[in-house]
Amino acid sequence: MSLHEVNPSIKAFAIVISILILSLFFDPITPLVTILWSLTLTFLFGRVSFKKWLLLFAPFLFIALIYVWTTMLFPRLQEGDTVLWQWGFLTLTAEGFQRGVSLGLRVLSFATLSIMFTLTTKPTDFLLSLMQQCKLPPKLAYGIMAGYLFLPVIKEEFQTLQNAHRVRGVARAKTIPEKVQQLKRYVIPLLAGAIRKAERTALAMESKGFTGEKNRIFYREITVSRIDWLFFILMISAVILSAFISWKLGYLQFYNREL
Amino acid sequence: MLAKWKLREIIVLSVLAVVFAVVYLLFLQLGNVLFGLFGLIGYDIIFGIWFIVSIIAAYIIRKPGAAFLSETVAAAVEVMLGNAVGPQLIISGMIQGLGAEAVFAATKWKNYSTWVLMAAGMGSSVFSFAWGFFVSGFAALSPGYVTAMFFVRVLSGALLAGLLGKYLSEGLAKTGALNSFPLGKEHKRNVTV
Repeated sequence: MSLHEVNPSIKAFAIVISILILSLFFDPITPLVTILWSLTLTFLFGRVSFKKWLLLFAPFLFIALIYVWTTMLFPRLQEGDTVLWQWGFLTLTAEGFQRGVSLGLRVLSFATLSIMFTLTTKPTDFLLSLMQQCKLPPKLAYGIMAGYLFLPVIKEEFQTLQNAHRVRGVARAKTIPEKVQQLKRYVIPLLAGAIRKAERTALAMESKGFTGEKNRIFYREITVSRIDWLFFILMISAVILSAFISWKLGYLQFYNREL
Repeated sequence: MLAKWKLREIIVLSVLAVVFAVVYLLFLQLGNVLFGLFGLIGYDIIFGIWFIVSIIAAYIIRKPGAAFLSETVAAAVEVMLGNAVGPQLIISGMIQGLGAEAVFAATKWKNYSTWVLMAAGMGSSVFSFAWGFFVSGFAALSPGYVTAMFFVRVLSGALLAGLLGKYLSEGLAKTGALNSFPLGKEHKRNVTV
């Protein structure tokens, strides 16, 4: 079994629900166990290169660190918190520190789950699955696919624009007003071109008989099997188990006095 | 919701969403820089940019659902493109889109004046803040800091989504690319009169 073969919609739902459950808790252990679990899954069943994974994961370490320090510097003070250090308006408490670390770990747990999804899912398969399993209207799905395929063309147009500006001696923008002006010089023509292309595409689709009707057949069918539901149940139970482990260790913290 | 839409409008909406999905991903980098400088509130300064497609799509197409759908599609495309953007972002996109849509719905999708566009950007801010409060656990932060974050985000929504979105759409109307859309028609009327 490989994570690449799991139905994309079910994989996406499993991850969204895991994240919703993780959002309920304010302790470090629940996200930590979930991180370990998703790492195990990613590397045992994901056929993911560690280098690529690390490249994507690294920025989140920085984001998590900032969550930790912001929560430490601006904690919600509660009665009975142990004050570690006080200076002016800054109050560092043991509880604030722990909540900061939990929020940081929460960010990292979301990141490991997200990367597990994106590194094992093909974009077009995800879209086809949304159309076939989640009833995304075909008109919208094929519109997104058309737009998605425009991206390389738009990139090429952007380079052409850049070259054209250079040939005509447009100076490099230095000040902020110049930069805004430059942004407008690029964005408006690119968007105008994209809109014209979109209209032409719509015309071409209709002239070739695309009606956008919902009961259509598909060249590539994305199926749902028992393994997909097994994955779903496994993911949700793992997150609940993480919370259970945290509770057994006496760490579990829910929204209690926070609201 | 899509029954009354022409295919042309749907494809234009999707293409706008795709283009802005790329813009959104680029702004994530800028967001991270501000985040490093100012802490959590750094994101809120430029948060409005992430609602801009709602404003642009609604202002151009002027149909119920334009704000909601464009933002949702942009989020889905971000997941398709983004290397570390997970499917939960689609929920964020839906919630942000609903915030703007709620404001347009309050005018029965009839009024697209500057104030309504700014209010729609603020609507997205309010909705996305509520969602962020839950998912990112803002409850652990001091109420003063959270309030400051909220107001910065609302202001950013009004300016970077509402005003900038209006400004870009009107620049676009001047090129004539929108001539078959309500905004383009309105622009043509004003020019000829």
